Parts: sequence; structure tokens; C-alpha cells
Amino acid sequence: MKKIIAVAAMAAMVVSMTACGSKAADTGAEATAEAVAATEAATQTAETTEAATENVAANGTLIMATNAEFPPYEYREGDQIVGIDAEIAQAIADELGMELQIEDMQFDSIIAAVQTGKADIGVAGMTVTEDRLQAVSFSDSYTQAAQVIIVKGDSAVATPDDLKGKTVGVQLGTTGDIYAEDIEDVTIDRYNKGFEAVQALLQDKVDAVIIDREPANVFIEENEGLKVLDEEFTVEDYAICMAKDNTDLLDKVNTALASLKESGKLDEIKAKYITAE
Amino acid sequence: MNTNYINGQPLIQVTDLVKSFGELDALGGVSTDIYEGDVVFVVGPSGSGKSTFLRCLNRLEEPTGGKILFEGIDITDPKTDIDKHRQKMGMVFQQFNLFPHMTIMKNLTIGPMKLQDKSKEEAETEAMRLLERVGLADRANAYPSQLSGGQKQRIAIVRALCMKPDVMLFDEPTSALDPEMVGEVLSVMRDLAEEKMTMVVVTHEMAFAKEVANRVLFMAEGKIVEENAPKEFFEHPKTDRLQNFLSKVL
Amino acid sequence: MNNFIDAFYLNFIKDERWKYITGGLKTTLTVTFFAVIMGIVLGFLVGVIRSTYDKTGKLKILNALCNVYLTIIRGTPVVVQLLITYFVIFGSVNINKVVVAVIAFGVNSGAYVAEIIRSGIMSVDNGQFEAGRSIGFTYGQTMIHIILPQAFKNVLPALANEFIVLLKETSVAGYIALEDLTKGGDIIRSRTFNAFMPLIGVAIIYLLMVMIFSYFVKCLERRLRNSEH
Repeated sequence: MKKIIAVAAMAAMVVSMTACGSKAADTGAEATAEAVAATEAATQTAETTEAATENVAANGTLIMATNAEFPPYEYREGDQIVGIDAEIAQAIADELGMELQIEDMQFDSIIAAVQTGKADIGVAGMTVTEDRLQAVSFSDSYTQAAQVIIVKGDSAVATPDDLKGKTVGVQLGTTGDIYAEDIEDVTIDRYNKGFEAVQALLQDKVDAVIIDREPANVFIEENEGLKVLDEEFTVEDYAICMAKDNTDLLDKVNTALASLKESGKLDEIKAKYITAE
Repeated sequence: MNTNYINGQPLIQVTDLVKSFGELDALGGVSTDIYEGDVVFVVGPSGSGKSTFLRCLNRLEEPTGGKILFEGIDITDPKTDIDKHRQKMGMVFQQFNLFPHMTIMKNLTIGPMKLQDKSKEEAETEAMRLLERVGLADRANAYPSQLSGGQKQRIAIVRALCMKPDVMLFDEPTSALDPEMVGEVLSVMRDLAEEKMTMVVVTHEMAFAKEVANRVLFMAEGKIVEENAPKEFFEHPKTDRLQNFLSKVL
Repeated sequence: MNNFIDAFYLNFIKDERWKYITGGLKTTLTVTFFAVIMGIVLGFLVGVIRSTYDKTGKLKILNALCNVYLTIIRGTPVVVQLLITYFVIFGSVNINKVVVAVIAFGVNSGAYVAEIIRSGIMSVDNGQFEAGRSIGFTYGQTMIHIILPQAFKNVLPALANEFIVLLKETSVAGYIALEDLTKGGDIIRSRTFNAFMPLIGVAIIYLLMVMIFSYFVKCLERRLRNSEH
């Protein structure tokens, strides 16, 4: 068993090295090539392992990429990364008989990590968008999320239309960032972290912050003088992203999600973190 | 010349001058008077305090005790504007200390222009006159590094003279020179002495001292041990210490 | 090759994404330029105060203040200083982020320039000081006319190096949502999910700027050397 894994790992290394070698010749396709190589290697590992150990509970490690600065979906509590996404991923890993390993990174690195095989799944309160679908595939939606607008209590901004010509704070690479570009004459301040955008709002450096509903609720709870506008900026689906050609994993994740939905476990997790308004 | 300065009084009056570096006493109470037109040579073994004495005269070294009256004004008083008085005390260093980033002309004119409100023309005319006297007029636009040691020291003397000083202080002006260049510097100094410039010279050039000085001081261990006219000084030294010193250097 | 062209198109041409790069470059250059000026002014001041204390024992209190400044600035990361400047010092004011960055990077650079200047001043022979003072120049005049021009020439390579470091350090300006060159690349990266093109593109632009700057510094050095022999 150990020997087989070692061989597989070696094969993976060789494949990925070859992939690196081809980078020099064809730089543009580098990310894709690497992703393919990594996926191939992963599949190979999975297959060999599965064949050899049919009834072993541990089917390897499921690596989840996230950006643990997005409460209540993922955030740090002590040394632990917790939140809705972390628990859903844990539940999926349990269903698959795999061990969950969470990798914390910048939000805009998650897709690249999944593409290159540095992570198996990306679970980070990530909205399904056309652009992202070009780069990765998404599981079925596990929750619906809305982008909302946070403003100061005394703000003149009352509806999304009022954002015209204003300065809007967002987190770089998030859905809010991308959709905010459609506002007329808007100035977008792209912060690396969501809470920094909120901090800028508190300090009057921006007029409003566009961010997901759940973290927004946490932010206004913790900071006096802020409110969320009733009218949502956008509504969208959150899903788990995976490397495009890893259809095997996609099927498994979707099956696991369906079973979690059915058992009520999914709602349970969401309810745990999102208190009714 | 300063109007407070009364004729017949010494130009520089040094009373009980003390300078200590921590525990070490470099000067242990030196008193002497220097009159206008005096050419005073200070000799002595190294470490005798003769350079420290000279450097105290324009307060490049801060004296730790005693008094120096220059043109009747106590320049050891912290309230005295020493920068004003230094303009009247030209100083020539062993290592020349020309300003390497300036041409010779700039070296000579920066003082008069910045400190004495001379116009560029005025300052350059005067500098040129003095350069001609030391035979270096053709080097006006050169940089110090293009000059020989002897030339540099002659320029350094001219730089001090451009400020029209009342006294010139020389701190071993020929010690850093190659032997063949000593003569040209001494000749400039000789000319100055003949023009009745007041001079205080620390040197090891005994023959030159004998020829040019009107008074020679012998210092040892931070004190003036003996002082006399040059002929007496060199031919009939009174103290054992001076006899001993002269027997070694002559 | 087609892949390369496609990737290039996606990252730089589509949706006018090159504007993130040009806009970012402009911001990077603006911030660096003014931060360098501020760093020089501040650095000269602090460097002169510190070496005056070293040489004469005067300016004790100012020297102590300068020491505090140097210790804090050199002992903390520039990113943290930038964030403190933006969110704490200018916490309650709505201030132009470029100004914030110039102040943060200028103050940071000043500390390093100060130590360079001080080492330059200390490297000038003490005889130069004495010669200046013996002519009748005040301490300040001696500094300005005699010492600093020589010190500046001695430390020019070190200063140039500091400014190259500064140019590259401004790449953390994105932390305060300022769209500098690096952030411009990051924005493209967050849209295209392609790491190679935006990052390598940004790196090449930094490299070119540093090379051009180094070339001019070499010319200046040569000129200064020629003026002295």
C-alpha cells in the first residue's frame, strides 16, 4: 500500500515536472497544462489506491482552498478555520470517507490553486459567474447568497441606484467587486479584505460597501452606525469549484451535497451560523 | 582691526590655558603673549601639546580652562561669536584640507563671498593677485587632486590669506610634504614673515625657525619650558630638556 | 503560440484590461517620485541632526527623537506602517490615498536615507570640517558648502539603491486599496484567473523601470567623478 502510494507520488512528480518543462515552450497554456497534469496524477493516485484498498475508510485527503476572512462562511477561531463552508466541506469529506485539509489563501488565488491541483475543491462563499465557469467547474449550489449594500446609518444612499458617482468599497476579486464595475461613474476601492472595506466605510473613506449578505450581517452587528439596505444589489448562487476535468470529483461532491440536503444536515449547518434576523 | 583692541596690547594674550582629554592633560597651564608682527615658532617633541596649543587659539579644540584674549576679546567666553573671530585667524593644516569638490578658485573665493559679502569679481581679483604671488595663477581652474602636495599647501595658505586675517596659524605645514616640496612652502611663509604678518607656527623645521622666527617656544608635557629669541634659543639653550631635544633634532 | 496570443488578449486587451496596468504604473510612479523627494528631505534633516550629535554632542533631544523615529521605522514592516498611516493616523479623515502612500513611503524611506546620509557625512574627513570652521563658516554653513556635497557623492550608489528598493516597496500600496502597478495586475488576475500573464507583465515593467533608473544613476556617478578626479 505504502509502496503503491510512493510510486503514484513519483509518477505525479514526473508528470508535473514534464508539465513545467513544457511551460517554457508554451507559456500561455501553462496553467492548464499544470492543472491537467495534476488532475491526471490525482486520478491515478485515487484509482490505484482504490483498487488496492477497497474497504478502507480513509480514501485520502480532500484539500479545500478558502480565504478565511469571510464570516460566517469561513473565518478563524483560535487556530481553527470554522464557518459554514468549513463545516459543509467537512460533511462532504465525511461522506466520501476522506480527510479534510483546509488551505487558507488570498481569495483571488483560490481558482488558480484548484486549477493547478494545489487544492481539490474551492469552498469560499464563491458565486458562480460566467468568467469563473471559463476557468473551473462548479458543483450544485449549496446556498443562495445576496450581495448587499452596507452604508452608514445617516447615508443618503437608499437604493442600489443611488450608488451612481459614489465611492464603493469592495473586496478584490469578489462578486461585489466584479458587479460594482457596472455602476455608472463609480469609484471602486478594492481592499484585500472585506473588513477593511467596512473599516474604510466607518472612516468615511468610501460611501458604501458591497459584500455578501451573511458577512454584512456580522459586520453591522459588530459595528454601530452601519445598516444594510433592504434592496439587494444582486442575488446569486454559492457553489464549490473544482478543476474542470475532474468530473469524477464533481459527481462525488454533487452526490454528497444531495445527501446532505436530504438529511437536513445542510440547513442545520447554515442555521448554526446564521441567526434569524 | 577691532576697535576695542588697544595699541600696544598683545594681539593674542593666552593666560593659564588648560586642555584635558578626559584624564589626560594635553595642556597644563600655558601663558604667553603674541604681539602684532610677531613670528612665533613652537617646537617640541611629539605629544608635547604644541598642536593642541595652536588649535586652542582658534578654538578648533575647546580649552577646558584658562583664557585667550584675541584683539582684546575673550574668545573662550561661550557667548563670543567664535566664527566671526576665526575669519581673522587664518589656519593652515598639515594635511592641507583643500575642498576636493571645488576648483582652486572656488576654494579661495567661497569664504570671502559667503562670509564677507564680497562680490564674485572682487573675490576672484584678490584670489588671482595672491595666486600670482605664489606662482600658481595658471592652476586657478584645476581641482585640488590635480596638484602636487607643495602646490596644495601653497593654495591652502592663499585660501587663509584671502580672508585678510590678522594672524596666521600654521600646524606643521610641511610635515606631510615630500622633501623636495618643502622649500616652495617655506618660501611663501618667509615672504609672509617679511611682510610683517603675525604668525604662529608649529613645526619641526628648526633651521627655518632659526632663520624666520623672532621668538621660539619650546613645549614639553603640555607646558612652555623655555622661550627665547631664536639665536639664543638654538645656540644657548638654558634648560636640560631643551638641550637634550636640540641635540636630537639638529 | 496561439495560446499565448489568446492569454495575452484575455489579460491585457479584453475589456481594456491594459488600463489597469497603465493606470497602476502612473500611480506607482507618482507615489515613488514624491516619496523619494520626501525621503530625501526627511533623511537629510535626520542624518544631519544625528551626525551633528555624533560630532559635537549637541542637539541631544532632537537626536533622541530621531533615534526613536529610526528605531520604529526600521523595526516595523512598511506594510504595517502603510496600514497604520491609512487606518489609524488618517483614520477619521477622508484623504487621497496617493497622499497617504506618499507620506507612508516617504517617512519610511527617510529613515533609511538618514542613515545613508549620516554614514556619508561621517565618511568625509574631519579635516574638511576643521578647514571649513577655521575659515569662519558656522557649523551649518560648513555642512552645506563643504560636507554635504562630498557626502552626497560618496553615498550616491547607496541612495540610488534605496530608491530602487522604494520603487519596489510601493507594490504593497494595494493594501490600502490604492491601484498601483501590482494591484493593477492583481485586479486582472482576479478577473481572468490567469497568474502568468499579469504577474510576469507587472514584473517586466518593474524590471524595466529599475534598469532605466540604474542607467541614469550610472551617468550621474560618472559625471560627479569627472568633476573631481
